[in-house]
Amino acid sequence: MSFKGKILLVDDEAHVRKYIGLIARQLGSPQLIEASNGREAVELYQSEKPDLVLLDVNMPLQDGIQTLKQLNQVDPDCVVIMMTSLASRQIIEEAAELGAANYIRKDTSKEAILSLLQQTISQCFAND
Amino acid sequence: MQLLQNTRIPFTNASGSPVLGRAGAMGAASPGLRLQGRRILVVDDDRLNIRILVGILQTEGYVIAEADSGERALELYESFRPDLLLLDVVMPGIDGFSTCRELHKRYGEYTAPVIFITAKNESDDVVEGLAAGGVDYLPKPFRRKEALARIRTHLHNRLLVEQQKSLVDQLTEANSAKNKLLGMAAHDLRNPLASIRGLAEFLSDGAVGNLTPDQADLVKTIRETSMSMLTLLNELLDVATIEAGELKVNRELQNLSDLVEKAVYLNNINASRKSTKIQFISPPKAAMARIDGSKIQQVLDNLLSNAVKFSPPGSTIRVKVSEYTGGCTIAVQDQGPGIPDNERHRLFKDFGTLSVKPTGGEKSTGLGLAICRKIIEAHRGTIVATNVAGGGCEFSITLPT
Repeated sequence: MSFKGKILLVDDEAHVRKYIGLIARQLGSPQLIEASNGREAVELYQSEKPDLVLLDVNMPLQDGIQTLKQLNQVDPDCVVIMMTSLASRQIIEEAAELGAANYIRKDTSKEAILSLLQQTISQCFAND
Repeated sequence: MQLLQNTRIPFTNASGSPVLGRAGAMGAASPGLRLQGRRILVVDDDRLNIRILVGILQTEGYVIAEADSGERALELYESFRPDLLLLDVVMPGIDGFSTCRELHKRYGEYTAPVIFITAKNESDDVVEGLAAGGVDYLPKPFRRKEALARIRTHLHNRLLVEQQKSLVDQLTEANSAKNKLLGMAAHDLRNPLASIRGLAEFLSDGAVGNLTPDQADLVKTIRETSMSMLTLLNELLDVATIEAGELKVNRELQNLSDLVEKAVYLNNINASRKSTKIQFISPPKAAMARIDGSKIQQVLDNLLSNAVKFSPPGSTIRVKVSEYTGGCTIAVQDQGPGIPDNERHRLFKDFGTLSVKPTGGEKSTGLGLAICRKIIEAHRGTIVATNVAGGGCEFSITLPT
């Protein structure tokens, strides 16, 4: 599988953007854009129209859930994969109800993260 | 003469130290506890009795309030908040016993101790008074030394109870602050560590260019060190969560043998590095249990990795699942040195590492088994360890259905 779409990577921590960015590159040859907070993410989403958003749950000021709600308003069909470190059942369920496609745990192995991303992408973009 | 002399003693003696040292000399109170300023409510419908008692009590520096009836005493209790009550039994209106019972009804276990004033040393009165929640009795006519000694003893007890309660409160608060800090620290350290480990993996994979053997060795150390730190942090987080009472198990009926088989399969990958084999002995038919799958998985991972860790390379570890009426057992038998008898009590406690060391230089935080025990207990099950006659040790988990 080779994914060539545009990915918006949202996390307040630079090391996470770097690490997850490296994993995302292994999806194929995606175009990566980054945002370090929720507001920037929504702005970038509108101007760049990415195919996929990787969205951190735990961010200061505006968290991932709030950002997800705003993205839904901007584009009800947006494809969002949440990123968490500690999987809190409650937050994951809330994100799922808000239409998030899946979630990855940043503290699992890069192989696990990669295969989850591949799986979700092939499900979401099956008809493309 | 004796009485006169005593009444003249001021609250502090010539050298400035509190008179309360006298109480210590009488053996009723330790010198560290200051009873001066403690509050006593004296309840009697007889003005003369009150005057006599107040006269005796004032010499000790107590703060005194008076009430002439049970009703008035209940009223005053609220505003005066005494540390002790001297309560007459026979009074118009509600009597002393009823007053005492009412106080206990209102203030429960923290009601100030009540000493009954009895006209004569009648054992029936004494028995009923104690049954009503009184701690002691003072027969009339009052004898000064006896009265003071009894009062001191009960004030002293009261003070100790208060101090103990406040200590327990402080410790509870400190413990929950510790857990909060532990949780926060572990949580905030995890993300950067996960990134460090992942980025080191990218380097050692050669995904971003080839490394020289020396460079690869350094990167491997970074990766392994961050990995073991992540394990430690995860365990610390588990402890914090469990201690904060936030361990929740979502029990669902599922096939326990499948779960164990999967755990055995995954742990065999690690075990093979030490040429150790984990052997699964499945039950004749599926063992079903109501369990939280991910939590039991965590327990199994811990027991299996421990078994590998403490067995010499090339060992065989046996895992057996069996069913009995009312539950299932999982037994993990290793070929390690067993558990020294004198260290057995530490096995399932936090940070309870033993003198027994891992055989391949692996790390041990001493938290794993404590977490296992708490997870199993949350399932209302048990976990025990026994040394096996031929060497090695068997951990056995029992889970009720």
